[in-house]
Amino acid sequence: MGDRRRSRRLAAALAAAGLALGTAACGSGSGSAGSGDPKTLEVWTRSNPDSAATYDRVFAAFTKKTGIRIDYQPVVNFDQQLQSRASTKDLPDVMINDTALMGSYQSQGLLKPIDPASITGHGQITAKSWSSTVGIDGRHYGIPYSRQAQTLMIRKDWLHKLGLRAPTTWQELLTVAKAFADRDPDGDGKKDTYGMVAPGSAMNGYTAWWGANFLWQGGANIIEKDGSGYRPAMDSAAAVRTVTWMKDNLFCGDNGVLQPGAVSAITGTATDFQDGNAGMYLTGPYNITTFDTTPGKARYEVVPAPAGPAGNDVLADGENVYFGARTGKTAQERALAAFLISAEGQKIAMTSVGGHQPVVRIPTNSTLDAAKVRGDARWSVVQKAYETASEQFPNAPDFAPIKQDTADSLNAIFTYCGSDVRSGLKELNDTLAGDLKDQDLLK
Amino acid sequence: MTATVTAPARRRGFSRKAVLPWLFLAPGLLLALVFKFLPMGKGIWLSFFKVRPFLGDKWVGLDNYTRVLGDHRFQDAVGHTLVLGVGISLGAILVGFLLALLLEGQARSLKLVRTAVFLPVVTATAVVGELWRLMYYPTSDGLINNALGFLGIGPTQFLDNPGTALWATMVMGIWMGAPYNMVIILAGLAGVDRSLYEAAAMDGVSLWQRLRYITLPAIRPALGIVLTLAAIRGLRVFTEVYVLTFGGPAGSTEVWMTRAYTLGFTRNDIGGASAASVVLLCVTLLLTVTVNHLRKRGDVR
Repeated sequence: MGDRRRSRRLAAALAAAGLALGTAACGSGSGSAGSGDPKTLEVWTRSNPDSAATYDRVFAAFTKKTGIRIDYQPVVNFDQQLQSRASTKDLPDVMINDTALMGSYQSQGLLKPIDPASITGHGQITAKSWSSTVGIDGRHYGIPYSRQAQTLMIRKDWLHKLGLRAPTTWQELLTVAKAFADRDPDGDGKKDTYGMVAPGSAMNGYTAWWGANFLWQGGANIIEKDGSGYRPAMDSAAAVRTVTWMKDNLFCGDNGVLQPGAVSAITGTATDFQDGNAGMYLTGPYNITTFDTTPGKARYEVVPAPAGPAGNDVLADGENVYFGARTGKTAQERALAAFLISAEGQKIAMTSVGGHQPVVRIPTNSTLDAAKVRGDARWSVVQKAYETASEQFPNAPDFAPIKQDTADSLNAIFTYCGSDVRSGLKELNDTLAGDLKDQDLLK
Repeated sequence: MTATVTAPARRRGFSRKAVLPWLFLAPGLLLALVFKFLPMGKGIWLSFFKVRPFLGDKWVGLDNYTRVLGDHRFQDAVGHTLVLGVGISLGAILVGFLLALLLEGQARSLKLVRTAVFLPVVTATAVVGELWRLMYYPTSDGLINNALGFLGIGPTQFLDNPGTALWATMVMGIWMGAPYNMVIILAGLAGVDRSLYEAAAMDGVSLWQRLRYITLPAIRPALGIVLTLAAIRGLRVFTEVYVLTFGGPAGSTEVWMTRAYTLGFTRNDIGGASAASVVLLCVTLLLTVTVNHLRKRGDVR
C-alpha cells in the first residue's frame, strides 16, 4: 500500500515535470495557427491595439473578397519578436512595418524579392514611391503601403493673440518661438510657455529622426550615395553650419525656445504641445488625431515646415508591405498586397471608425487624395509636403546603426553647449564610416 | 508491481530516499533549467558567433569580446556602472539601516508606516521612473524644484545636465532599494538581545557606542545577506537608467547593460550583446564569491 502511494507520488512528480517540459516546448515553438494551411496567411504589423482595430477591418474586407483567411498578429515590440521567429526559420507570410527597416531585414535574409509587375494594380503606385523600396542589389524588397511627411503643428490661437503669422523661414521660426516663450500667449500672467517641442534624446535615434528635417533644410546629408556604395557626409560645411545653428539657436539659445528638458525628451514624454505648454511641434501627421482632442482641433493648424537655407524638405517615412522569405504562399501574398494597395483597401485603412487610429496616412495609391478621402483639408498640407518637399532616410543599407550613432553624437553636441561642433561631427563621420564599412558599403 | 517491488526496494531504500526529494524538486528545477540555465547557456554560446537568426550563425571566436572590450563607449560605461552600482547599493544599505532603526517596534502605527515605506519596492519600476521624472521636472513646476524654490535655489536641470543626471538616477535607485534592505535589517534587529541595551543604558553609553558595539555586531548576519545581494545586483543596474534617462544626456548615464541593450536591440548585434552580458556575469560572479568569502572569514573570526 505504502509502495503504491509512493509510486503514485512518483507518477505525480513525473507528470508535473512532463507538464513543465510540455509548456516550455510550446513556448519555443512557432505558435502560429495554421502556418501550413494554404488558405491562411499569417500577417504581422507593428501596431498597438488601437491601430490593430483598423487593420482588423482591412483584413476582414480582404477575406470577404477573396476567401483567404488572415491570422493577424499586431506586435508592439516587432523587431525582438521577429528575431525570435527568425531563429525558428518560420517567418510570418506578410509583414507591414517601417520603410527604414528594409535594408536591415534584407541584409538578414528575411525578405523575399518582389517584382512590382507581379502585383495587380502596381501602376497606381508612383515611380517615386516604388523607387524607395529598391534594395542594395537593385531588386525591390517591399511594396509601398503608407507614407507620411512631417509638418509643423502650430497654435493658431497663440499666433492670433500675439498678432503673428505662421513662420515660413528659420528666422521667423525663432521669432515666433521667442514670442511664444516671452509674451504669455496663454494669457495666464505666468511665464510658463515655450516655443517649440523637440524630442532630443538619443534613445531610439530620436535626435537624428527629428533633426534630419533641419539637416536637409540646411543642405546637409547624413550619408550620400557614392557609386555602388555610400560615404558619410556629416563633416560637410553644410552639416557643420546646420548643426551649429541648431545648437546655438534651439538647444543653447534663449531659454524657452525649446521645452525644458529637450535633450532627454522622447516622443512619448514630450507632451508639451498636447499639454498646452508649447506652441509648435514639427512632427508626423499621426499626431493629428491626438492633437484634435488636446489642445483641440480649433486651436492649432497644420503648416509646411519653415525653410532653411536649402529649402523646406522634411523627413518622409511610412510603412511597406514585406513578404517573409521562404514562406511558399507567394500567390496569396500577392493577392493580399494587391488588395492593400488598391483604392478600396487603402480607403478602409485611411478612415477612422470608432475613434481608432487610421493606418494609412498618405495613400501610396496615386488615384486617392488624402484630404478628400478624410474630408479634412489639413491632410493636403501633409500630402503636398510628401510629394514636393520630403526626403526619406536611405533604406537600402541597414540604417539603424547609422541613425543611432548620429543621434548619440548630435545629442552630445546639443547637451554640451560649449562643445566644438566641427570636431564632434568629424568624430561622428569616422564612426559612420565604420558603420558603412561593417556593411561593406564604404567605397 | 507493488508485490514484486517490495524485496529489492528494501535494498535500494537508501537510494530511493535520496532520489525522491529531487523528484519533488524536479518541476521547479525544470522550470529553472528551461527559463534560466538553458537561455544562459545559449547566451554564452551566442557570444562566440555573429548572430544571424535566419541565415545561420557564423563562428567568430573571441571577436565579439575583443570588440566589446575595445569599444570606448563600453569603457565609458564601466565608470558610470561602478559609480551607480556602488552608490545605489551602499546608499540603499545605509538608508535601509536608518529606516530600520527608526521603524523598529510593535506599535500599530509603526506597522502602517513600514508598509507605506515598503511601497516603492512593490511598485513597477516604469511607474517609479515616471514619478521621479515628474518630480525632477526641470522648471519650478517640478516638485523638487518647487521645494528648492522656497529655499531660494533656482530650478536645477536634474536629468538634462550631464553633471547631475547620474546622481539623480542614483537617488531614485536608493529610494527604490532601501526599503527592501530595511526589511532584512528589521528582522536582524528583532533578534538583538534587549538586555544588552538595558545593560548599556546602565553603563551610560552614548548612542553611537550603542550602535557600534551592540547593534551592528548583532545584525552582522542580516548585513551579510544585504551585502551579498548588493554584490549580485549592483553592477547589473539597468531598469533605473532605462526608465529615467536611457543613458542620456550625451551618454552621461550610460551603464554596461544599457549599452548591451542598445547593441542587441537597436543595432541587431546579438553576438556582441551576449559577449557584453557574459563579461558582466563573470565580474558579478567573482564579486559575489569574494563578498561571500570575506563574510565567511569574518564569521569564523
